[in-house]
Amino acid sequence: MALLTDTSSSAGAVKSRVVRQYNFAQTLPALLLILVFFVLPVLALLLRSVMEPEPGFGNYAELLGTTTYLKIFLNTFIVSALVTVVSLLIGFPVAWALAIMPSRLSTVVFAILILSMWTNLLTRTYAWMVLLQRTGVINKTLMGLGLINEPLPLVNNLIGVTIGMTYIMLPFIILPLYGVIRRIDPAILQAAALCGATRFQALTRILIPLAAPGMVSGALMVFVMSLGYFVTPALLGGTANMMLAELIAQFVQSLVNWGMGGAAALVLLVVTLTLYAIQLRLFGPARIGER
Amino acid sequence: MTEPFLHIEGLRKDYGIVTAVQNINLTVERGEFMTFLGPSGSGKSTTLYILAGFENPTAGDILLDGKSLIATPSHKRNIGMVFQRYTLFPHLSVGENIAFPLKVRRWGKAAIDARVREMLRLVRLEGFEERKPAQMSGGQQQRVALARALAYDPPVLLMDEPLSALDKKLREEIQHEIRRIHQETEVTILYVTHDQEEALRLSDRIAVFSKGVIDQIGTGPELYANPSTRFVAEFIGDSDFVTCKILSMRDGLADLSIGAGAPIAGVPVHGIATAGGTASLMLRPERLTLTRGTAPQAMPSLPAAVLDITFLGSNIHVAASTGSGETLSVRLPFGHPATAGLSRGDTVFLGFDPAGAHVFCG
Amino acid sequence: MLLNFDRLGAWKWILLAITGLTAAFLILPILFIAALSFGSSQWLIFPPPSWTLRWYADFFADPRWLEAAWTSFRIAAIVTVLSVLIGLVASFGLVRGRFIGKEALRALFLTPMILPVVVLAVALYAFFLRIGLNGTTTGFVIAHLVVALPFSILSITNVLEGFDKSIEDAAVLCGAHPLEAKIRVTLPAISHGLFSAAVFSFLTSWDEVVLAIFMASPTLQTLPVKIWATLRQDLTPVVAAASTLLIIVTIALMLLAALVRKGLKS
Ligand SMILES: Nc1ncnc2c1ncn2[C@@H]1O[C@H](COP(=O)(O)OP(=O)(O)O)[C@@H](O)[C@H]1O
Ligand SMILES: [Mg+2]
Repeated sequence: MALLTDTSSSAGAVKSRVVRQYNFAQTLPALLLILVFFVLPVLALLLRSVMEPEPGFGNYAELLGTTTYLKIFLNTFIVSALVTVVSLLIGFPVAWALAIMPSRLSTVVFAILILSMWTNLLTRTYAWMVLLQRTGVINKTLMGLGLINEPLPLVNNLIGVTIGMTYIMLPFIILPLYGVIRRIDPAILQAAALCGATRFQALTRILIPLAAPGMVSGALMVFVMSLGYFVTPALLGGTANMMLAELIAQFVQSLVNWGMGGAAALVLLVVTLTLYAIQLRLFGPARIGER
Repeated sequence: MTEPFLHIEGLRKDYGIVTAVQNINLTVERGEFMTFLGPSGSGKSTTLYILAGFENPTAGDILLDGKSLIATPSHKRNIGMVFQRYTLFPHLSVGENIAFPLKVRRWGKAAIDARVREMLRLVRLEGFEERKPAQMSGGQQQRVALARALAYDPPVLLMDEPLSALDKKLREEIQHEIRRIHQETEVTILYVTHDQEEALRLSDRIAVFSKGVIDQIGTGPELYANPSTRFVAEFIGDSDFVTCKILSMRDGLADLSIGAGAPIAGVPVHGIATAGGTASLMLRPERLTLTRGTAPQAMPSLPAAVLDITFLGSNIHVAASTGSGETLSVRLPFGHPATAGLSRGDTVFLGFDPAGAHVFCG
Repeated sequence: MLLNFDRLGAWKWILLAITGLTAAFLILPILFIAALSFGSSQWLIFPPPSWTLRWYADFFADPRWLEAAWTSFRIAAIVTVLSVLIGLVASFGLVRGRFIGKEALRALFLTPMILPVVVLAVALYAFFLRIGLNGTTTGFVIAHLVVALPFSILSITNVLEGFDKSIEDAAVLCGAHPLEAKIRVTLPAISHGLFSAAVFSFLTSWDEVVLAIFMASPTLQTLPVKIWATLRQDLTPVVAAASTLLIIVTIALMLLAALVRKGLKS
């Protein structure tokens, strides 16, 4: 009997280990894909930044020591910050309204938000290229109203990029912020009113502080996404205000300078991951990219 | 001697350094209703899951009709189970849920239909065949789960706290259903619960689990009258404990003294007792007598001061404090002469039959 | 007060106005493009002098547009199948498994979602140059799979975590082989998660521009690449027609998703 017990015991232990390994094995196809076609290529690219044309940090010295490149960094930052602030200023009242308006109205707005998010990025950018061009509807309307005499340059500059990117980022700040405001108990604001707070005081002292975590988290997300944006800046921005993602593409495609491309990629990567880590630290795993 | 129907032998399960159960030995007769009773975390579910084949034991064996089940995978064990949570297949109707094990066994359509109707009748849910689980109450879902588990005539039915998510009234209603179904089908049931009342109401025999071992196995009355450990005494029925000193022992009976009182002879003793050592004397509230004025002559008694008197309908509950500050409860029928005019602070004598009390050592 | 729509007073109208304007800001450009695709003006003058189907005719007459659309569809379809399959298996491991480093693995699987796509595009481009996958369907599929998989894993782990494993255990005790139990019980019960994984994966690939620009060759390009290349030259109304077709596909998928979700609920 003891013999029997022993065998069944070791069989039991072996089986649970087998189950565990089987569970791990299930993740192997995904792991292989990510390792070979994500981790490895990205690491290889970063490695090239210190290996080409010769080993050392020459690429970084050039990247951080050349006015042209520094200007691009600054511009990337300015555009991203601008887009974030504008998105937040528009997004907060919209999310607030969505959280309290009758569901028949909010359903329509949600449908529009989701349709917009799901519409091809190029289509949306193209729409703004057409709308903002010299002979576009916006310039024509403004001239027709007699507000301006000459068409305004709205495209291939900071205005164009900001409008186009805000257009794309708005849903990303409205939806999470809506969730945050939705979870605030209306009774808290009733209590504030009973305490004698005016509407404005209730807004600045109660509602905004309560919604602040959502605002910061949404803003960080929009900022991070904007930093690495490629398509919209490339089409709506001008050569004078190139952004970092475009610079990386240009290093690789037009200049075939892999060392500099890798260095610029590392800068973008470090900034992105740092901000993302801050986001994680502050707010836990965010549902980034949820559509 | 005939082969026992279900035999569990030396069962043990370790999770890393945690031992969930150990030294589980149990024999269940065909058609018996056996309940595992014990507090949460005492290893009841683990034992059941090993029987179901979801966990492998670290040691030990399970024999059904003399054949070991250990090597048989869950889906070939032909065991039925009702789980603690609702486990109806959400995308299938009630009828399809009950038909599922039969389809898996490749029964013919006519046979399946007939069986599904029979099972629905058994659990009294005729006419619910087309419903989806989400459209049913928790109690109804558990009845369907029961029908599904019984559809293929399993020799053994496992039930892991199937009623714990239901409210008290519904729970009692379904307990009656389970009893009736057990009598009608004569299936062998292993039932897990942490509710002593449920265990007493349903079971032929009860295995009391404590910290991963079975403390005692027996019928409800046996456990109540003869608890073999302090834990069982506490878990089945109400009990109070008084510290005492063992004077001497023989044949499982001990002589003991409480405080400075007279020796009390012939109390059944459990555990390893040593003369001169301290132990706990267990007294049940409903088996104590209460007298006022002078101590009773016919039996040993303890003097105590009344702390509180509670009227509980048919009973009156008196809490009293002994000389050493331990609290004892007495339950007396309404209108008992000794309770007339009794008030807090009165001195009373609590008498008991030594043969009906128990001493636990260690 | 501030969270009670009817007691906001004048503020209510301010909020409504901002929301209305924002909704208009979001929807009008899309409608505008759809309208222009039927307009006769080569220079995209609005309102158009007259209406025409000319740009659609041009689109369907040009084999390069059609080929690009077909390529997009083919790649998106393959990516969808692979992403759901790999994501499903991995999700079972991630949700049910108990092994060291599980959480790290989960985080690793989601990183392609937060990394700027341009970095991945450049890195993969370099890697594919070396192993000769640039300009191939395989290259496209791999690239899109890397960015689609996180959505798939996110959707499926989400539903799988909400699925009580006891239900699958019950099916096994009913006599179903563990694999059969997964196929007949677990998969149907989590089908809405599988469906959103499929929709997200398809759209991720179908709409993807940046990776595609790098993977494309003159002979193999997706619809977004074709639009991108055309846009860099001029704003021809054919792009408006192509865009409108894309919007129609999107709306069709949205409606399908809504219908399926409704169907699954009842
Ligand atoms: N999968 C597991 N891993 C580690 N410990 C476990 C596991 N399952 C149960 N245990 C431990 O085993 C003991 C018995 O658990 P269980 O059988 O579920 O108790 P019960 O059903 O009586 O409440 C508990 O201490 C529990 O923490
Ligand atoms: Mg349990």
